[in-house]
Amino acid sequence: MPLLSARALSKSFGGLRALDSVDLELAEGEILGVIGPNGAGKTTLFSLIAGSLAPTSGEVFLDGARVSGLPAHRVVRSGIVRTHQIVRPFPNLTVLENATVAAIHGARRAPGHARERAAEVLAFAGLADRAGHYPGVLTLAGRKRLELARALATAPRVLLLDEVVAGVNPSEAMALAALIRRIRDERRVSVIMIEHVMPAVMSLSDRVTVLDHGKKIAEGTPSDVVRDPGVVEAYLGRGHAEANP
Amino acid sequence: MTLRWPALVPPRAAGAFAAAVAALAALPALLDLSAYTHNLVTLTFLMVAGALAWNWMGGFVGQVSFGHAAMFGVGGFVAARLLLAGAVPAPIAWLLGGAAAGVFALGAHPTLRLRGPYFSIATIGLGEATRLLFTYWEDFTGGSSGLSLPIDPDLKFRLYWWGLALVALVAAASFLIRRSALGLQLLAIKADVDAAADVGVSATFHQDLVFALSGAVVGVTGGLWASYFSFIEPNDMFGFDRSIGFVLMAVIGGVGTVLGPALGAVIFVLLRQYLLASYPQLYLGLYGTLLVLIILFEPLGLTGLLLRLWRRAARRPEPAPAAAGGGR
Repeated sequence: MPLLSARALSKSFGGLRALDSVDLELAEGEILGVIGPNGAGKTTLFSLIAGSLAPTSGEVFLDGARVSGLPAHRVVRSGIVRTHQIVRPFPNLTVLENATVAAIHGARRAPGHARERAAEVLAFAGLADRAGHYPGVLTLAGRKRLELARALATAPRVLLLDEVVAGVNPSEAMALAALIRRIRDERRVSVIMIEHVMPAVMSLSDRVTVLDHGKKIAEGTPSDVVRDPGVVEAYLGRGHAEANP
Repeated sequence: MTLRWPALVPPRAAGAFAAAVAALAALPALLDLSAYTHNLVTLTFLMVAGALAWNWMGGFVGQVSFGHAAMFGVGGFVAARLLLAGAVPAPIAWLLGGAAAGVFALGAHPTLRLRGPYFSIATIGLGEATRLLFTYWEDFTGGSSGLSLPIDPDLKFRLYWWGLALVALVAAASFLIRRSALGLQLLAIKADVDAAADVGVSATFHQDLVFALSGAVVGVTGGLWASYFSFIEPNDMFGFDRSIGFVLMAVIGGVGTVLGPALGAVIFVLLRQYLLASYPQLYLGLYGTLLVLIILFEPLGLTGLLLRLWRRAARRPEPAPAAAGGGR
C-alpha cells in the first residue's frame, strides 16, 4: 500500500478548474518530483494535500487514513507537512524558536523535548550557529534551510517541498539538493517536490509526475518523462514535439 | 553544538518579583498611606491586572480588542448580583464573575476568524451590543440606574491586597505564557496565521483559549471594581471608554511586552487622576497626543523607550531587529 495516495483530486476556483481529477501515489521512502509549466496546478495540489485548501472533490489518504477534509493544523499533526515557495519564517521568533513551534506538534511521532528536537533539526539543516538569530538576518538560502528545518521539526512522514531549490545560487542549490536527499536517506521522510530547476528534480526524483492545465499528463522515471512527446509539447509547444520525436 | 536554554523562570527574575510583591504588600503599613493614596493604589492594581490580561490577546496574539469592557461588565454585574444575594463570600463572587466573563468571551468566537483592523471593528460592535443588552436588561443590571452594593469600608480597605494578589497572579501568568510553548504558538499566530497552521498550530483553539482567559481576568477585575465602588451602572461598566482604556494602557506601556502594560496602566491612572479633576478637556487630548507619538516613534511604548535608553547607557549594540512583540 502506498504511504500517501490522492484519488481524483479536483479543485475549482469559480469557473477555473485549477486541478482536474489528479491521482497520485507516493511510496514509503520515495522522492516524487512534480513538474509542469506555470499555472499547471502544482501548488494547488500541495494546498489540497496539506489541507490549506479543501478539495472540490477527491480524497487524500495517509497510510490508509483519510486526511482530506481536515484543517491544515490537523493534517500536519497526522504527518504531512508543506513548505512554501516564498519562505514564511516567523520574523518575531528566533531561528530556534521557529523550529520549536513546529516541534511542539511533532511530539506524537518523535519523543523528547520540543526545544531539543528543534535544536537537532537545526543542526541537521546546517543552522546550528544561527539558532539565536532572527530570520531577517539570514540569506535566502538560510531562510530556505529554516523553512526545511521547521517542516522537519514537525516529525513528518511526508514532506511537500514547493520550489526549495529555485532562486538560490548554483552552489547553494547543490547543497540544498544534497540536504533533500539526506532528508529521505537519513530521516526516512518521503518527499514530494515541486521544482523548476531540472537538474535538481531529475537527479533527486525516483519518479516524476507532470501536470499541465490541472491534469496529469505523464508519470514515470525522470528519463522516460523528458522523452514523452506530451511533456515536450506542454513545455515547448507543438512544433517542438513534432520536430523532435 | 552548545545551546543554552533560558530557564522558564530565571531565579533572579523570580526573586525580584517576590521582593516587589512583598514591598507593595507592606507599603500601607510602612508608609502609613493616607486613605486617598491607599485607594488610588488599589484602583491602579485593578487597572494593571486588566491591562496585562488585555495584552494576552492584543499583544501576544496581536488581535487588538476594542470590546474588553463587555467582559469587565459581565464580571462586575455577576459578582455584584452574587454579593447582593449574599450567597457567597466576596472572593468567590469575584471568581464566579470572572468565570462568567470567560464563558461570555467565548461568544466572540465567530469574530476570531477576522484579523487586524477587521477583528478590532467587530469587537467594537460586540462591546456596544453587550452594553445595550445589559442596559435594557433592567432586572439584572438595574438599567441606567445601576446597582448599589452594601457599603463595606473594611472590605474596601482590604481590596488593596486582593488587588495586589490579582496583579501578582496575572503578571506571573503573563511571564509564563510568554515564555512557554503556548506563548511561542501565540507569537507564531501573530506573525503569520497560515504559516502557523502549516506547522500544526490551531489558531482557532488558541485564540478562543486566550480570549476566554483574558476575558476571565478582566471579569474578575470588574468584580473587584464593583466591590470597590459599591455602585455600578451598565453605561459605565460596559462603556466604550473603558474598552479604549485597556488599549491605551497597553499601547502606552508597550503592546506585546510582558510587563509594559502594567507601566502603561500606572501612567494612565495617575494622569487621569490628576488631570481629570483640574483639566477635564486636556486629558483626552493628552492621551491622543501620547498615542500618536507612540505609534509613530516607539511601537513598544514606554518599555521600548526604556530599553533604548538602557542600551544607550550600557553602550550595547542593538540586537538583531525583531518585530514588535519579540522584546520584553
